[in-house]
Amino acid sequence: MTFVDLLMLGFSEAMTPTNLGFCLLGALLGTLIGVLPGIGPTATIAVLLPITFFLPPLAGIIMLAGIYYGAQYGGSTTAILVNLPGEASAVVTTLDGYKMAQQGRAGAALAVAALGSFFAGTVATLAIAIAGPTLSNFALKFGPAEYVSLMVFGRLAATILASGPVLKAIGMILIGLLLGMVGTDRATGDDRLTFGFIELFDGIDFIVIAIGLFGFAEIIANLERTGSEGVKLAPLTRLWPTREDFRNSWGAVLRGTGLGTLLGLLPGGGATLASFSAYSMEKKISRHPEKFGTGVVEGVAAPEAANNAAAQSSFIPLLTLGIPSNNMMAMMLSAFMIHGITPGPTILTTQPEIFWGLVASMWIGNLLLVIINLPLIGIWVKLLTVPYRLLYPAILLFCCIGVYSMNNRIFDVVLAAGFGLLGYIFRKAKCEPGPLLLGFVLGPLLEANLRRTLLITQGDPSIFVERPISLTMLIATVVLLALMMLPSFRTTREEAFKEEEA
Amino acid sequence: MPRPSMPLRGDRPDLLTALIFLGLGTLGLVMSRELEAGTLAQMGPGFLPRVVCVLLILVGLAVGLPALRRPAELLEPVKTRPLLVILIAIIGFGLAVTHLGFVLAALWLVVVGSLADPGGKWQQTLALAVGLAAFGAAVFVYGLGVQVPLWAF
Repeated sequence: MTFVDLLMLGFSEAMTPTNLGFCLLGALLGTLIGVLPGIGPTATIAVLLPITFFLPPLAGIIMLAGIYYGAQYGGSTTAILVNLPGEASAVVTTLDGYKMAQQGRAGAALAVAALGSFFAGTVATLAIAIAGPTLSNFALKFGPAEYVSLMVFGRLAATILASGPVLKAIGMILIGLLLGMVGTDRATGDDRLTFGFIELFDGIDFIVIAIGLFGFAEIIANLERTGSEGVKLAPLTRLWPTREDFRNSWGAVLRGTGLGTLLGLLPGGGATLASFSAYSMEKKISRHPEKFGTGVVEGVAAPEAANNAAAQSSFIPLLTLGIPSNNMMAMMLSAFMIHGITPGPTILTTQPEIFWGLVASMWIGNLLLVIINLPLIGIWVKLLTVPYRLLYPAILLFCCIGVYSMNNRIFDVVLAAGFGLLGYIFRKAKCEPGPLLLGFVLGPLLEANLRRTLLITQGDPSIFVERPISLTMLIATVVLLALMMLPSFRTTREEAFKEEEA
Repeated sequence: MPRPSMPLRGDRPDLLTALIFLGLGTLGLVMSRELEAGTLAQMGPGFLPRVVCVLLILVGLAVGLPALRRPAELLEPVKTRPLLVILIAIIGFGLAVTHLGFVLAALWLVVVGSLADPGGKWQQTLALAVGLAAFGAAVFVYGLGVQVPLWAF
């Protein structure tokens, strides 16, 4: 089949009433949680994961994907109108977006953000469509040794690109790996680390960990912070940007899209990293960097385009290699797994309708989001006045139903509460729980591939350096580790994140 | 919890991190001590858990030791009310949903869970609880077919 045929197949899949409906639902939910501070896409997808079990596979995945990129649109709305980033990826949008709103240019900022995001989404969708098949063909050459090296490299790179201390992130990955080993050992049938609980013989469910660490722990942490009520809205004026806004922003949108698409591909990359990097890059190449932070349109256009592009291009490693690059993609991986679909290089040939249907739905979803966000902006803004006091019991209920409905067991609910407590302690210790999820989903994959490799070579580890692809990735890993030892690199990295946070 | 030392020294969040890492690493080692390690070619079930635990302990030390000498940074204060109330609400839901059915469990969860944030009006909480229980029953039990009895008796 040619490229056009495949794309047509995708659109015919994505346009079925069910899939279109769930695409719209995902986009709406994404916008909703993007607008509401205090609940992010990670927690939402964790809550909705068990529910997708009751849906057809493609519909469930389309909806979850819609939530992720929809949140990028919604997050910018609150960032611009009330100076509250709805999502971490919209933090930099507050800098210039809110200033624009104060100057009576809220409409222009919102429109540039939405149109820039739409453009970025279109490009990123195309990138997935083009890169997907190419990378899949490449990945089909991978043996178990390559997978082991790729995973080791990917995890390490992820810790360096994410903000926060590297050592803590590595520790969190290790804890995730350890949790992934709980249950019956697949190769030998022995039960491991189960404390003798029969309920743990099948291993810990991903959903239990995700809802505990992200759902419950987030609610508890949010409740500790008080006084978040009473938001002040900037006045909303005409929506259409001036011609000057367009002229100033198109370059920024292009650069943001390019950078975002690339950064989304990297392990550990994703929407947040992309928006921060796009903002600092725009500031660096601008002819008037001193004006950034006073309400320049480029400061909204670049990060908003970048976060949306990255949100979508981060699907590429998952769909082609089967390896999630950030915790959102770890969630998506488990959404595929719930339906018995293993994402990876073979998915394109065995289940092309899933891959192409998802790709097509992303473009449709982006189109829907522009409609949802621009003319209907007033409705979303009203939602901001809903106090968290009325919101969190609902989230709590959805979390509990989700966990319970997997196996109808009290045990899972109690275990999730335990992970909620653990997540709360992690927050106190200033540990980001994201890497733990990644370690958890990759643990079994890593172990199986490592065992397979060494079984083939009869215990000889030199295979890792004899195969060229594997060797390249191991060298890259060593280089990264060496860089981390260099004090000058460490300070540059810390400064880079500090500048972005400022 | 980290030891309180006389002159304020030590980065408490990092010390707590080290404690978690060391604790989980040791726990993992103890739990996996009876599992066979096997050989490289025929890895037993205990091989990787041990490797991961040892690495975790090493990382814990690497985080904890420098933190001892850094100037003091305190932990954010723990508010026990939201923590305990939410955990009790969740565990209660788990118990109630099998023995009392979905409706009562949902009412319990919302009413008790709302106590975590003082200042709400009880009429509002009650209305929210009834509304959410009805919504949950309609969407999850009827709509999505989650296998939960609405009433257990």
